[in-house]
Amino acid sequence: MTVTLNLRFRKPKNELEQGGRPPASPAETEPEIARKCPACGQSTPLSALWENLYVCRCGYCFRISARQRISFLADRDSFTELFPQLESRDILGFPGYEKKLESSRASAKEREAVVCGRARIGGQECALFVMEPYFMMGSMGAVVGEKIAGLFEHAADEGLPVVGCTVSGGARMQEGILSLMQMAKTSGAVKRHSDGGNFYLVLLANPTTGGVTASFAMGGDVILAEPGAIVGFAGARVVEQTVRRKLPPDFQKAEVLLEHGFLDRIVPRADQRSVIAALLSIHRREREG
Amino acid sequence: MFSKILVANRGEVAVRIIRACKEMGIATVAVYSLADAESLHTVLADQSLCIGPAEPRDSYLNGERMVSAALASGAQAVHPGYGFLSESAEFAALCRKHKIAFIGPSEKIIALMGDKSEARRFMQDAGIPVIPGTGVLPDVKSALEAARDMGYPVLLKARSGGGGRGIRLVQTPQEMEKAFHIASQETADAFGDGALYLEKYVFPARHVEVQLLADEDQNVVCLGERECSIQKNNQKLIEESPSPAVQDALRAKLVEAAVRAARTAGYVNAGTMEFLLDEDKNFYFMEMNVRLQVEHAVTEQITGIDLVKWQIRIAAGVPLDFSQEDVCLRGSSIECRINASAVGTVKALHVPGGPRVRFDSALWTGYSVPPHYDALLGKLIVFAGSREDAIRKMQAALCELVIDGVPNNIEQQLDILSDRDFCRGSYHTGFLKERGE
Repeated sequence: MTVTLNLRFRKPKNELEQGGRPPASPAETEPEIARKCPACGQSTPLSALWENLYVCRCGYCFRISARQRISFLADRDSFTELFPQLESRDILGFPGYEKKLESSRASAKEREAVVCGRARIGGQECALFVMEPYFMMGSMGAVVGEKIAGLFEHAADEGLPVVGCTVSGGARMQEGILSLMQMAKTSGAVKRHSDGGNFYLVLLANPTTGGVTASFAMGGDVILAEPGAIVGFAGARVVEQTVRRKLPPDFQKAEVLLEHGFLDRIVPRADQRSVIAALLSIHRREREG
Repeated sequence: MFSKILVANRGEVAVRIIRACKEMGIATVAVYSLADAESLHTVLADQSLCIGPAEPRDSYLNGERMVSAALASGAQAVHPGYGFLSESAEFAALCRKHKIAFIGPSEKIIALMGDKSEARRFMQDAGIPVIPGTGVLPDVKSALEAARDMGYPVLLKARSGGGGRGIRLVQTPQEMEKAFHIASQETADAFGDGALYLEKYVFPARHVEVQLLADEDQNVVCLGERECSIQKNNQKLIEESPSPAVQDALRAKLVEAAVRAARTAGYVNAGTMEFLLDEDKNFYFMEMNVRLQVEHAVTEQITGIDLVKWQIRIAAGVPLDFSQEDVCLRGSSIECRINASAVGTVKALHVPGGPRVRFDSALWTGYSVPPHYDALLGKLIVFAGSREDAIRKMQAALCELVIDGVPNNIEQQLDILSDRDFCRGSYHTGFLKERGE
């Protein structure tokens, strides 16, 4: 038999002790907006997240915008944007695409799904591109392809290394065959840059999939990844439905890819700047030597 | 003064704090995990809120939930008790941010004293004797070098340790590597910080601690010492005040050192400085506990000062209304911690009474001890004119205490109390180990 605690205590009639200062009223404070971690469920205020480069205490890397990433990676005030004016148009008349572009421009506050430019990382000059997950999930259309190919050509002409950060759902289906052509175009530009003896380092962020994985994302001389990033061609759901088998929970995770030799290293966000700077400086010395 | 306080703890300490609030006319908010829905503190408080599942990190260790509960209930202050969030600088800062008073020192002091190696350096600078030791060690090699210079045996200690975890005795160089890795892993798991430092192993030694109260006007008073050498695996079992090893001259030195350290640190609220006392009566600073101690009751008995009430008053900005000269240590008080040795349900409970017998507990007949938290069932505290009388009173009280249904350590406590060395007051931290415990 379980006994329940069925006690009712009376309240003593003691008056409140006097003295001290009047307590602050907690209701006056405005609670800060916090974000909940999908991995551990803990909420962290935005100010604390910003200080921790948008990484939860459990290690989960929150998705960040291209500009945020540039501010985390590049030296202060060193970034100069290239091709900022390019933006996509609905060439094929794909239903709803024009509207989608408009809303993406408004929500991501970017004209396209990639931001390109020149920057210094730990004092090392480089060409830098960072994909924008908040613009149609970083998908690659003709303009993304053009900007990335343009950046590689610029870097090849200037003898600069390229540092790229990929976050993408793959080719942009609203641009059909035109988006698939970007795979060949960007790969060609990477090859030309490489043939000139230039260094290309890519950092794969969550997720890097589809046509982006199948082209310039895996073409780096050094391939780094963020902890827990999904990197693959077809998404887990598609693969699962095709092979009709339950996939392991770590399917396409960066940690598994590293084990199988597809990656060189997994670098936590806090170390990315220093690791990339070190790699750029090693590469530079080797070239000059 | 605060009109409503949230008690961010469970068990006997939550009950203890709620009782103090009731005397002061302060309304109380209890918080509880799902495992504690049938707990005494939930019915004793004026209001109670469930803050999550049994797992401490989702309930009693979750600062955000605590603050949410305080905001939701309109509590103006939070009393953290001991354990859980009581030594979390992060939690103290979170409270301040939401304009809820944290009943304890500032987050700066908590952070300083929480870093055991920084705290050591601070005390050394303040002229307090510390045990010869090192700063944080980067690896096994540096530990071996430091130990060689210091001479074995040495103690490996965790920077962020507590409750005896992350402490390893190393007698020979051969034991170092294994001990280093185990201690580092243990504290990394428990506290998220694997940093270790070395200390000379002082043995035999006594664990003597000094109770302080400091207000915002920098008035610091010392409420005497507590002897806590009866320990099992670094967990205290019996505490007494005054310490049989401390005479007036030594006490004056201890008080002077503790007060000086608290003043230098700008300490506010209740705190305890722990010292190790060697056979030649040299004392060394070990650590400072920036919270209420489990064993605070023995100090209350011999000083007549209610520490919990003063914690609340100091947090509300009330200055101390007595000075060091007014503090009078009278008689002798002993506390026995009654611990569960397994989970169970209390079938019958009888609590001893009579003059100067106190049992601080959250037990009730029908209470089931949850497996998720510490083993403390209650604290039996007695007070008498002399140490000898206090031991007699404790013997009698322990024999009268009945907690049927939950295996416990009452028998072991009786054995200790009738031990000749204990009765003579000549014992050290190795007391139980020497007796095969």
